[in-house]
Amino acid sequence: MIELVRELAGTYGPSGREDEIRGVIRKKISGKVDELYTDTLGNLIAVKKGNGKRIMLAAHMDEIGVVATYIEENGFIRFSNIGGVSPVFSLGQRVRFANGVCGCVCYEEKLKEPKDLNFSKMFIDIGTNSRERTMEYVSPGDIAVFEAGTIEQNGRYISKALDDRIGCAVLIELIGQLNEVKNEIAFVFTVQEEVGLRGAGTAAYAIKPDLAVAVDVTNTGDTPGCNPLSIELGKGAAVMIKDGRTISHPLVKNKLIDLAKRFDIQYQLEVIEKGGNDAGSIHTTAGGIPSGGVSIPCRYMHSPCEMVDAGDVKNVVKLLKAFIQSED
Amino acid sequence: MRTDTLLEQLCKINAIAGFEASASNEIKEIFGRYCDKVWVDTFYNVIGYKKGSSKNGKKIMITAHYDQIGLIVTGYEKNGFLRVSNLGGVDTKALLAREVTVHGKKDVFGVIGAKPPHLLSGDEMKKNVKLTDLFIDTGLPDEELKETVAVGDPVSINSQFVRMVNGCAAGRNLDNRCGVAACVLALEKLKNIEHENDVYVIATVQEEAGLIGAISSSYNIEPDIAVVIDVCHGDMPEADKASTFTLGKGVPVGVGPAFNKNVTQQLLKLADQEGIPTQLCVEAGDPGTEAWAIQVSGMGIAVVEVCIPLRYMHTGAELVNLEDVDTAAALVSKFAAGRTVRLSKEDADDTDTD
Ligand SMILES: [Zn+2]
Repeated sequence: MIELVRELAGTYGPSGREDEIRGVIRKKISGKVDELYTDTLGNLIAVKKGNGKRIMLAAHMDEIGVVATYIEENGFIRFSNIGGVSPVFSLGQRVRFANGVCGCVCYEEKLKEPKDLNFSKMFIDIGTNSRERTMEYVSPGDIAVFEAGTIEQNGRYISKALDDRIGCAVLIELIGQLNEVKNEIAFVFTVQEEVGLRGAGTAAYAIKPDLAVAVDVTNTGDTPGCNPLSIELGKGAAVMIKDGRTISHPLVKNKLIDLAKRFDIQYQLEVIEKGGNDAGSIHTTAGGIPSGGVSIPCRYMHSPCEMVDAGDVKNVVKLLKAFIQSED
Repeated sequence: MRTDTLLEQLCKINAIAGFEASASNEIKEIFGRYCDKVWVDTFYNVIGYKKGSSKNGKKIMITAHYDQIGLIVTGYEKNGFLRVSNLGGVDTKALLAREVTVHGKKDVFGVIGAKPPHLLSGDEMKKNVKLTDLFIDTGLPDEELKETVAVGDPVSINSQFVRMVNGCAAGRNLDNRCGVAACVLALEKLKNIEHENDVYVIATVQEEAGLIGAISSSYNIEPDIAVVIDVCHGDMPEADKASTFTLGKGVPVGVGPAFNKNVTQQLLKLADQEGIPTQLCVEAGDPGTEAWAIQVSGMGIAVVEVCIPLRYMHTGAELVNLEDVDTAAALVSKFAAGRTVRLSKEDADDTDTD
């Protein structure tokens, strides 16, 4: 699993620029599904044919990043965020553009108070000293992703972009494990989740599934001084009851809980106040699609050192496998 | 049916946003008394259908959401306490010291604990209480509590329905059960009015959680015209005159970009002809009601809105005038019947019909 996670997490693919990551995923699953295509927005849709219920699983393949907005005369790059990027987390990090050029994220030294830190007071340095030189590599509109390796330690995966390449890994793993299925399963690797759940809705509109499950990461409440939250790393797959966008449909939520109990799969229940995942746009599509989520608990979300538990990932795979194979 | 009896019955129902499934059948039963056909869709919207007498009739959709605000369990604290988050826009001030029901495996009584003033620091006295500071005290032993209540279980606010001497009623869930009551009364009236239009009366879900029921219903029904019945703010001392409306002085009709201008004018004209009192409820943008979602459904839908003024919105002690519920029902039923209203292709906003 770690090799797959490393390859996925290390591949470039910020929101709106998913070509490279889509190519990698396509290679991994081609030949293992009955249909494989990319839609207008760039969602990658893999279908296992069946005569039962139509079920959609969605994991977003885009990641957060930064976009160059202006090149200073002395070559420094001003930038803005793609998705929920924290100025604090970005500070001192390296970023990488699509062409492989790397930059350091730094801030104006005069800035005294950390609370005054925002992107307008920050810049990216790619080591050039003139606008002309910088423009040879980076133009306004070019998007970079954070740069950090992937490791496995103490049963945890630590990496950038586990949100939501770990979800993509889960779907790829499921595709590999499935042989004959009764239900029709659409595995959807969605685009532009991080900028407003843009891809999942249009994919769902075309697929019109009977049930849909978003497979994404979720925050935990198990670190020093964190806000109270009943999700812990290593305590199992998180069955979403509610997030900031969706109250899970009883059909999906109850089925997931029943299956977890029946097959003795470790799970926990997720109630989140803010933020939403792909279920948020799927469930209001085409007159309403019963939707829910199975989440992988993740610490330090949207930082270059996101952390998930390998056991949780296994449990998510088990639970989703039971879900898509279930014939009632 | 008597308005107060109906409203009392409706207010007793627990249909917390996102958890309407168990309540949908009771609404269906009430709608069923007056409809040609009634059904519950996958999202638990309840749809009552009355067939029109003409093939040339329009498709009219009338919505009133039947979900109510509430809380959701997010975790446990020692000694029988529960942590909670909101389902819909709750007012934390108004939650303090309230009695609630936690809908676990079985219903559990609880109170929302509030620190007494004696124990508040000066700073705490000044600040509004945050949802994360609130706890539900169930009094149950921890083991039993965990056995009975799960993270994600919904919580409703307890409050009696009270008839007041001035023709008003107070209680919880009046937002928007008074709208649902107006729907039922309108259906009852439509039984005795010949109407050309096909009428779909829908009690919608999850309005308080992002207009979910309105989005799915309008897509599925594809009406020509939609009428939203929801509450607006009632007048009270010290409140802004422009955004509050006098109780018992007619139903406010929505005016603004969310609402189709021509159809709204026809609605107001009809009210005038029929001697039904109205007021004007000006909404400069998003009115915060289902109209906003319905308007942009599919290729676009002409929406009008009829409001019922309600005081103390989103608290356990909301208050409406029963007469306003009747007025809304009278106006909406007459409008849906389309006897005096011309519902033609020229209803589009950009056609000059004046
Ligand atoms: Zn994500």
